[in-house]
Amino acid sequence: MTFVGLIMRNIGSRPLRAALTASAVAIGVMAVVALGVLTTSLKESATQILDVGNADFTIAQKNSSDIINGTISQDDIDAIGRIPGVRKAVGALISTDPYDENNPLVIEVGLNPADQAPFGLNILEGKAYTADSDDQVMLGYALAKQIDKTVGDSITIGGHDYTVTGLYRTNVSFGNSTMMFPLAYLQGLNRLSGQVTLGFVQVEDGASIARVRAEIDSQYAQLTTIETAEDFGRADRNLTLISAANTGGSLLAGLIAITGVLNTSLLSFFERIREFGIYRSIGWSRFRVIALVIGEAVVVSVVGAAVGVLLGWGAINVLENLRQLKGVFKPLYDAGIFWRSLGFGLTVAFLGALYPALRAALVAPITAVRRE
Amino acid sequence: MSRRPLDSSVPAIAVHDVSKRYGRTIALDHVDLEVAAGEFVVLTGPSGAGKSTLLNLLAALEKPDTGTIFVRGHRLGRRSRHLNRLRRVEVGLVFQLHNLIPRLTARENVEAAMFETHRGRRQRTARADELLERLDLAERATDRPPTMSGGERQRAAIARAVANQPAVLLADEPSGSLDDHSAQLVFDLFDEMRDGGATILAVSHDSRLEQRGSRVISIADLSTSAA
Ligand SMILES: Nc1ncnc2c1ncn2[C@@H]1O[C@H](COP(=O)(O)OP(=O)(O)OP(=O)(O)O)[C@@H](O)[C@H]1O
Ligand SMILES: [Mg+2]
Repeated sequence: MTFVGLIMRNIGSRPLRAALTASAVAIGVMAVVALGVLTTSLKESATQILDVGNADFTIAQKNSSDIINGTISQDDIDAIGRIPGVRKAVGALISTDPYDENNPLVIEVGLNPADQAPFGLNILEGKAYTADSDDQVMLGYALAKQIDKTVGDSITIGGHDYTVTGLYRTNVSFGNSTMMFPLAYLQGLNRLSGQVTLGFVQVEDGASIARVRAEIDSQYAQLTTIETAEDFGRADRNLTLISAANTGGSLLAGLIAITGVLNTSLLSFFERIREFGIYRSIGWSRFRVIALVIGEAVVVSVVGAAVGVLLGWGAINVLENLRQLKGVFKPLYDAGIFWRSLGFGLTVAFLGALYPALRAALVAPITAVRRE
Repeated sequence: MSRRPLDSSVPAIAVHDVSKRYGRTIALDHVDLEVAAGEFVVLTGPSGAGKSTLLNLLAALEKPDTGTIFVRGHRLGRRSRHLNRLRRVEVGLVFQLHNLIPRLTARENVEAAMFETHRGRRQRTARADELLERLDLAERATDRPPTMSGGERQRAAIARAVANQPAVLLADEPSGSLDDHSAQLVFDLFDEMRDGGATILAVSHDSRLEQRGSRVISIADLSTSAA
């Protein structure tokens, strides 16, 4: 028998208790995985906007809860385009509308045809709409496929009929699930004449991005420039809230799991006081007794963590198919989630079993013969 | 079979003026005892006279209130690392009530005593099986103590106590619940340990065991305050 064998034997002889402890850890890990995947996925799809058109940075309204809800004057974007060092500044209006049962939230982009190329748009089929049309639309190829429309088809959105003039691909994946209208038309539809939602700036080769950003930040107090995901977090408070909810939820899950492990380890400590006395009386060191108790908790918790990862994966599938999140939430699994779950399981085991383990190590050898 | 004392002139056990009380009960009252290396001493005395208490002190399970105890020339002090080693390999203790771990099989109980020794996993299993076989317990190797008879448990406890070839074996009524055949197996094992230089101190009222001892003493005679 190895020491690990002994640990397994001890766990196996109290299967119900082990199962209950493992399920406490599993529930904790499930919460951590589900919250983690949800957060990274939302973050990732939100920050994809930073990559639009290979822009060096994005411009948004300062202090809006959600940068998609901000507004910027088209004139400001044009002026920014003339700042030395800026090659191109493109303004786009973003709004959303329901399309059908399966696409309850379609992102609409208002963009001038002339700005499409700098925006990173690639026309796959058909051609661009004309700048002043009011009944033309272009579809991202992924959306077109999803709703089974192609060039020349007619399509109804919000009670208006449009003709599909072209299909496009963008350099960011979520862009392929959008639809695009002439900027002026979409502004009129949303009663946002002369306004855009975001600006996308490319600087000239050799120009300093930092210098251009600083220039914009100082000249336009109502605007903010976003280059990194971190900048994004500062500009978009929703994302900050989601991250905070994730951290808080994970901590809570950890606490629940630790309490579960502590509870069962402590119960089993009281049951096994004499056993620990016997181990000490036959020459086990305190360290080995600690290793036994923590080892048992670690094995149970790692099994619980594995089950929790599966449960978390199931929970994500449920979330993904929730009507409210359809199309918004595309789960993104990274290997980090699994390592974090393992780390969570180990930490929970260690913290939950530490106190019972220390108590066990302090059991005096004479306890082996003490009468109950 | 046992490791030899470095110097046979050093007593295996030397107890000087040891007292131990539990509340108002005086379990040991100024006890003196010396056992030479290689001796086989049988300790007798009435129930409640403190025989088990003395063995517990010698096995460093607890500390005397007063007095000093030397095992193989080393004073039992507070250094826990030394005490662990003493409990593990220097001294083997057969508990009066066996004190096996109920959830482990007979074999595992014996193996558990051999962690932190030079033996690897296979060697631990081989050693446990060898001892269980010798004590006629081969068929009980995978049974747990609650399903074993008193005599079987007693032999399993003996196997555990001698697993690491202790230089000093302390045995509390090791043949109390054994029939003649099983008792003979145990006595043969003890003889072999003595041939290897081990010292044995056994508490017993069993005349079969007393006959084998090199010396039979009564615990009442050890108390200096009574004299
Ligand atoms: N932990 C304890 N708490 C209180 N009293 C104790 C404790 N351990 C032993 N005693 C008492 O100390 C005395 C000696 O006990 P001990 O077990 O050493 O006797 P013994 O000689 O081994 O008896 P027996 O032959 O019945 O086994 C007894 O009166 C016993 O009740
Ligand atoms: Mg006794």
